Amino acid sequence: MKICIMNGSPKTAESTSDLLIEYLTSFLKGNEVVTYNVCKTDFSQAQFSQIQSSNVLIFAFPLYIDSVNSGLLRFLIEFENRGFSNKNSTVYCMINNGFYEGWQNHVAAEIMRNWCKAVGLNYGQTLGIGAGEMIPFLKDIPLGYGPYKNIGIALEELSHNILCLNREEDLYISPNWPRFLWKIVSSYSFWYPKAKKNGLKRRRLNETVD
Amino acid sequence: MNILIHDLSNEHFCSLFSDVYNDAYIISDIGTIRHCIGCFGCWIKTPGKCVLKDGYENMGELLSKSEKVTIISRCFYGCYSPFVKNVLDRSIPWLLPFFKIKNNETHHKRRYQNNMQLAVHFYGENITAEEKETAKKMVKANCINFYVKNYEITFSKSINELRGEVTAI
Repeated sequence: MKICIMNGSPKTAESTSDLLIEYLTSFLKGNEVVTYNVCKTDFSQAQFSQIQSSNVLIFAFPLYIDSVNSGLLRFLIEFENRGFSNKNSTVYCMINNGFYEGWQNHVAAEIMRNWCKAVGLNYGQTLGIGAGEMIPFLKDIPLGYGPYKNIGIALEELSHNILCLNREEDLYISPNWPRFLWKIVSSYSFWYPKAKKNGLKRRRLNETVD
Repeated sequence: MNILIHDLSNEHFCSLFSDVYNDAYIISDIGTIRHCIGCFGCWIKTPGKCVLKDGYENMGELLSKSEKVTIISRCFYGCYSPFVKNVLDRSIPWLLPFFKIKNNETHHKRRYQNNMQLAVHFYGENITAEEKETAKKMVKANCINFYVKNYEITFSKSINELRGEVTAI
């Protein structure tokens, strides 16, 4: 099976989408898998043809202001304008957001479904993942264990559906961790240490620009 | 201050809306805008200000001074147009990185205390019923995240029809 993964993260550093793609591809062994970053690639006709000839298109991207980011949106429009002659591809999406609840990705999932209708492709399934920013910080924990338990189970289900070309209901997951704890950890283990590396004290993070 | 974010060409905008925008601050596509690169520099490096210097780095501050934000955008798949979405992606400095629980969902805390009104005017020849529903959900979600209590959404089939919807900015 020919699978094309479209990474829709505009991040310059390693992104959560990169990591999720790495996890997902481990379930897709034995297939021809090609990955592109849509925010960093000017697609040649040859690359576009390769995308067109795929059985499966997987979009992996972060949620930006309740929807798709502007770079990915530009790509989707270009894709529609170029035309898509092969209508047999099935589209799957892995969307991660910074909030705890994976459910908050549902509007972005609808946008991708609407795009599929506009282009004339089948929509397979969405996996919406909450607390995405936390994932790279826990990458030493094996998938399917501890806070990663829900993601491991969901990726297994998504990959099964991809390989069978199943069209299923969307999946929305939050980390296998209490929300109050995640909220505290996000400040003390994520934002404050990052600010400190930039020489900022905690109170400066709340400053306004007047 | 009122803000207008639009994706129209200068020609269209001036010919159709020159009498309604008065002294609103206009944010339009001058061809320099860069994508948000998800670096969070506006939260942890230069709080409240984007690190990309392209003329759109002050969105947080601009929003903090606004009472009403009007958006004129072509509708793509139930989302905004790329330019308008780009401006909104660059608007997270108005928020803080920290979280709070609202309606049993996590959302970012606000950096500023001003309350904005929002009017979103979508246009496009073939906006489907599904796309309209998605756009309504998206704008509602935007309002929750930006603490907007009063908002309106309209859909027009053309820019000329849109002119009838936008009576004041």
